[in-house]
Amino acid sequence: MPRSMSSQSKVLTPNLTPMLDMVLQLITFFMMLVHFGSRLEGVNRGVRLPVAPAALPGASLTVDQLSAGLDARGNLLVGDETLDPQAAAAWWKRQADARRAGLELLDEPDAPFAAAESADLPTVVVLRADRSASYGSVRKTLAEAQSRGFARFSLVVLKREEP
Amino acid sequence: MSIGPDQMFFPAGGVVTAADQADDDDGLARGYRPAPPEDIYFPAAPMLDMAFQLLAFFILTFNVPTSETHLDLLLPTTPAALPTASRGLARPTSSPLVDSDLENDLIVRAEADDLGDLKSIRLGEAEVPNLDVLGARLRRYIELLGNRPLRVRLIADDRLLYEPAARIIAVCSAAGVATIRLAHPGASP
Repeated sequence: MPRSMSSQSKVLTPNLTPMLDMVLQLITFFMMLVHFGSRLEGVNRGVRLPVAPAALPGASLTVDQLSAGLDARGNLLVGDETLDPQAAAAWWKRQADARRAGLELLDEPDAPFAAAESADLPTVVVLRADRSASYGSVRKTLAEAQSRGFARFSLVVLKREEP
Repeated sequence: MSIGPDQMFFPAGGVVTAADQADDDDGLARGYRPAPPEDIYFPAAPMLDMAFQLLAFFILTFNVPTSETHLDLLLPTTPAALPTASRGLARPTSSPLVDSDLENDLIVRAEADDLGDLKSIRLGEAEVPNLDVLGARLRRYIELLGNRPLRVRLIADDRLLYEPAARIIAVCSAAGVATIRLAHPGASP
């Protein structure tokens, strides 16, 4: 004889403990990884960064950063755009002028940045140069930026080869 | 078996009265064995909700770990002023005074072969067999200098690939060199 539904009704309590364990483990995993190395801005898939195992973990960069790339042929990469040397020089000048104008707005009229055009800018230039680029092209790019007033540079490298 | 809070049994009013206690004592005296304690219901759902929210937060803000790091270079536009007489009245002196800043400048020369690979490294005039030795010598030099900062000028062939150049810069930086300057091959020491 079939038993009635009322006799079978029970409060079903699913065992949530394994699920909770799993979720807490996942949270721990993500919390552990959250402070590990993260990519700097200006990632470009066309640039293969050099591997320098001796490089130490760098300190955190300042807020004002200017990212640029350098392809294997030594051309400046800004965003998805490749600039020839003339356009690159103009771009560096524009960036420096824009930052000087910003500093003039922030600073007093007799502040050092407003007074001296050749004074060093506080901006950190983050350069992602391709490993196959020549040292000469990197040096010339830095010199071009330096001539516009940028003095702080950060060369992005890999500590180990990434797959 | 798990029971919910509505299924938990408590005496009316939630207070154990003296009469209840007396009944219990009588029961024990008559050999009454109390039933095994029921499982206590633990409400895991709120904790699970919270855990899922935390999990969602970490997943959404997750960045894939990378081995990227950066080598900091300070290349000031205006060169550091050399020690001179006050008010710019520097006079040539016959005695060869050694400038302490210039003395701390070390020159690392890197030569490239036709393919742009690193052929040789020199620290000053001495050839260095590899980058590990370069790092060790720089560290020793820094120890000798004490608190004075060591500056390195890297003079490398323009055709040298950037990767070996970056490795040299990384070794210098890791050794504790304060400033690394990149010079063109024709630069005078």
